[in-house]
Amino acid sequence: MNPVIQLDDVSFAYSGMPVVKNINLAIGEEEFLGIVGPNAGGKSTLLKLILGLLQPDTGMITVMGMTPEQGRSRIGYVPQHPTFSRDFPITVQDTVLLGRLGNTRWYGPYLKQDRDIAKQAMQAVEIADIRYRPVGSLSGGQLQRVLIARALACKPDILILDEPTANIDMRVEEDIFGLLKQYNEHMTIIVVSHDIGFISGYVDRVACLNQTLVCHTTEEISGKIIEELYGAPVKMIQHSH
Amino acid sequence: MSNFFTALFNYSFMQHAMLACLLASIGCGIIGTYVVVKRIGFLAGGIAHSVLAGMGIAYFIGSSPLAGAMIAALIAGILIGWINLHWRQHEDILIAAFWSVGMAIGILFISRTPGYSIDLMSYMFGNILLVSGQDLYLMLILDIVIIITVMLFYKQFLAAAFDEEFSRLRGINVEFFYILLLCMVALTVVLLIQIVGLILVLALLILPAATAAQFAGTIKRMMVVSIILSIATTTLGLVISYEPDLPSGATIIIVAGFVYVLGIICHKVLTQTKSV
Repeated sequence: MNPVIQLDDVSFAYSGMPVVKNINLAIGEEEFLGIVGPNAGGKSTLLKLILGLLQPDTGMITVMGMTPEQGRSRIGYVPQHPTFSRDFPITVQDTVLLGRLGNTRWYGPYLKQDRDIAKQAMQAVEIADIRYRPVGSLSGGQLQRVLIARALACKPDILILDEPTANIDMRVEEDIFGLLKQYNEHMTIIVVSHDIGFISGYVDRVACLNQTLVCHTTEEISGKIIEELYGAPVKMIQHSH
Repeated sequence: MSNFFTALFNYSFMQHAMLACLLASIGCGIIGTYVVVKRIGFLAGGIAHSVLAGMGIAYFIGSSPLAGAMIAALIAGILIGWINLHWRQHEDILIAAFWSVGMAIGILFISRTPGYSIDLMSYMFGNILLVSGQDLYLMLILDIVIIITVMLFYKQFLAAAFDEEFSRLRGINVEFFYILLLCMVALTVVLLIQIVGLILVLALLILPAATAAQFAGTIKRMMVVSIILSIATTTLGLVISYEPDLPSGATIIIVAGFVYVLGIICHKVLTQTKSV
């Protein structure tokens, strides 16, 4: 297996407070990895390290064999919360088109090819009919789809989603994970979630992160493992695999 | 009113004034839009006021105050941006420092320059009736620079203004475009100094764009609407001020403020009738 993302003994601390410690992780091509763990367990920090937005204190990270800064152009990233102000005057379509940056010409307007790719991404998450709406007028679920479409418009090899369904109802959550499963046929997908029971029905492997990281195949996930991770008994939903 | 039009047809200074309004409005509408959506109004104010340092020095050494203004504005834009990015100072304090120290330097140099600085007064408060043909050419060049830069990097400016983190992930040098934007703000300040003077530049940079923001759903539309509003505001201010011989800069700003309030009221009424 040729890993697309590799972390060797990575540690990171925020002003002396360790957030993640001695992380070793190799993510293979077309793998669907779930990352779970308690709040403040370092999940978002781990993603930011992979994206090169944070630098590890020790250890090494490679993305597609390159440094995170070089490799991240191959990653489509869906943040947990929008990192923009909701009242910014921009339409859904223009937001999705931002995903083309880095893969289009550096000057002037977008090319027709960019618009086609953005259109496909919007159709995939069913927001094509609201493409001229300002993002400020969208519901939480619609906005989440816009963020996913923007990441898809990057035409990434790796898709990273941070709690993509945190403020979406159950039906939409199933839709989105069904869609991700489909994309997984030609894309590596990493998804952070607090809902280990739900995602274990979709992912190949679960990484449990609470400062340190332990990986399990989905078959191994049991109430006991979750209890160890969260430090409290958790109700487990049984899935048939 | 009719006196205004007689003057407009008969006197070149009046035609220059009208052209100046038009040219200043183009840069002001485009860059003002970014200033409003990025909420860097006071940063723009800091750049505008520190321009006095450049004008004062230029006046002292006997060169063109406008050239001094341009150099000072660009230096202030780059320095404020750079310090803001690298030294992580509190932005408000940084702006206040540039704002006041810039003016202080200007005042020192002016006080050491012999003679009464009538020109300088007009740069501080604007005197649109003194705009020369040469000034108009300079304004035209500044507009062209602003338009070309924004047309080339529209995507990047939009991305960096909208979502810094995502832009960085897509390989956009967010810091570079931040400082480039501040340079464009600096050029716009120089453009507007002719019309309303450096003290009042901030209002003309912000008010038309802020009014446009009430109605326009995209950056492009906001730019077009604020250019139109800016042309209307400056022209109307000029017309009103002409006959009673009021200070034109101040009159223009009051018109801009009035239009802004009107815009907010219209927006409120429109959204309320929609929701009923």
